[in-house]
Amino acid sequence: MRITGTIVNYYIHCKRQCWLFAHKMNFEDDSEDVRTGRILHEIRSEGRNNTEIQIEGIKVDKMTEEYVVELKKSDADVEATKWQTLYYLYILKQKGLDRKGRLEFIERNKQNHRTVELELDKRTEPELIRLLDDIEVYLQQDKPVPAIYAKKCERCAYYAYCYI
Amino acid sequence: MAKSAPTTRYIRTPGTLGREDNSLTFRNEKGITHIPINSLKELYLLNEISLNSKLFTFLSMANITVHFFDYYGQFRGTFYPKEARVSGKVMLLQAKACLENRLPIAVAFVGAIAANIHEVLYHYFKHGNKEIKPYLDWLKKEVPDLLPKIKKVPTLLSLEGEIWRRFYETFQLILPEDFVMNHRVKRPPDNPINALVSFGNTILYTKTISQIYHTHLDQTISFLHEPSDRRFSLSLDLSEAFKPLIVFRTIFEVVNNRRIQVSKHFDKKYNYCLLNEPGRDVFITAMEERLQQVFDHGTMKRKISYLTAIKYDAYKLKKHVVEGTPFTPFLEKDRR
Ligand code: SF4
Repeated sequence: MRITGTIVNYYIHCKRQCWLFAHKMNFEDDSEDVRTGRILHEIRSEGRNNTEIQIEGIKVDKMTEEYVVELKKSDADVEATKWQTLYYLYILKQKGLDRKGRLEFIERNKQNHRTVELELDKRTEPELIRLLDDIEVYLQQDKPVPAIYAKKCERCAYYAYCYI
Repeated sequence: MAKSAPTTRYIRTPGTLGREDNSLTFRNEKGITHIPINSLKELYLLNEISLNSKLFTFLSMANITVHFFDYYGQFRGTFYPKEARVSGKVMLLQAKACLENRLPIAVAFVGAIAANIHEVLYHYFKHGNKEIKPYLDWLKKEVPDLLPKIKKVPTLLSLEGEIWRRFYETFQLILPEDFVMNHRVKRPPDNPINALVSFGNTILYTKTISQIYHTHLDQTISFLHEPSDRRFSLSLDLSEAFKPLIVFRTIFEVVNNRRIQVSKHFDKKYNYCLLNEPGRDVFITAMEERLQQVFDHGTMKRKISYLTAIKYDAYKLKKHVVEGTPFTPFLEKDRR
């Protein structure tokens, strides 16, 4: 199975979500959140040029000489976004592009946008490789792990499917 | 979930449906009606409506399903937008479940029919109708005993037939005389009650098609009905448990409070008996109300409607074939 940034993100966020998504059991438009996210993204993309760069399946929001920039609408799950971006850096590095990562959290009603800087280094790179191996093995299971019944489920597009 | 703008639109009079910029328009001799599409998911065309391919492109883009009926209220087909959700994995697992595990799933459907009929009739028993007691007891005690012992689908189907036959027999106890059913005649229905049952079942069936559309289940692979018997045979399965709750409750309601009357709302031609236009109006309005009715769902901690409950039954079935979780269709008694 081909791993993507979203798959890495979901694996950290919720393994069950990751499996369902990777097996093409995509969002079932139950959650308003998914739509808001998409619309926000569309509106953002409109105003600027050069946003959303696509390189072999990697979609990043912005790339400069030095940085790969990921824009997120909330900092609810920094960890997941962090590994997603590190994964992008890793793929880019294999293509000879050395970049650092920057996460920008554009929250509604907040003036100061939080940012986080990331680097693929001696510590994070082997950790990432191990993570990718784990994901590979997990996705080969014929079933997802059971639902986690956590607070974040309430905003998840799979809520109905998991809780029914 | 909060009540939102209507997602279904019924068109009952002849006319022309078209596109004007980004909205739908309906023209007839009375003039033009604009139909906003932002929340629209389904269109029912219940008369002779003209449309062109430009319109279909638009409907497909907007993800709107269209169900076609002829002048007699007979279902003719569904236009399905292009972007259906397909998952090869779900389809294979659903086929596997059908080949290896068909009977228990089919049994679950029949069990739900019996339990939900019981819920609907219990209301009449509680209000003094003691004669239905033997049937109620049979549904509650004997049917659940018989079901797990069944070894073959045909045996199950005859039990299902028996459940419905005895249900129709109770109509003479709860409906006015001119609505009593002698026997169930489907195509074409021969008396008013058969006409109501046929029309109601068809609307529910098409509603279920639209609900399954939002899942990854394959519409042709069914369990109680013969798979691929029809293009949407899974919809026949999934609508069964809801028939007593939605179709028959609507019938009992509109007949008993005389909103539908034999003299006013039916056309009789040759051996046919069909709901006329005003009759269909009354019936559809009453049935839509029921579909939209919300209640507390136990495990979900959310309010859901019957329409959503149909979709959730599809989710349960999907989860059953993918993850092996138990499958029980919607039971009225579990409502909170
Ligand atoms: S609802 Fe909860 S368990 Fe299910 S996928 Fe979403 S986060 Fe994971």
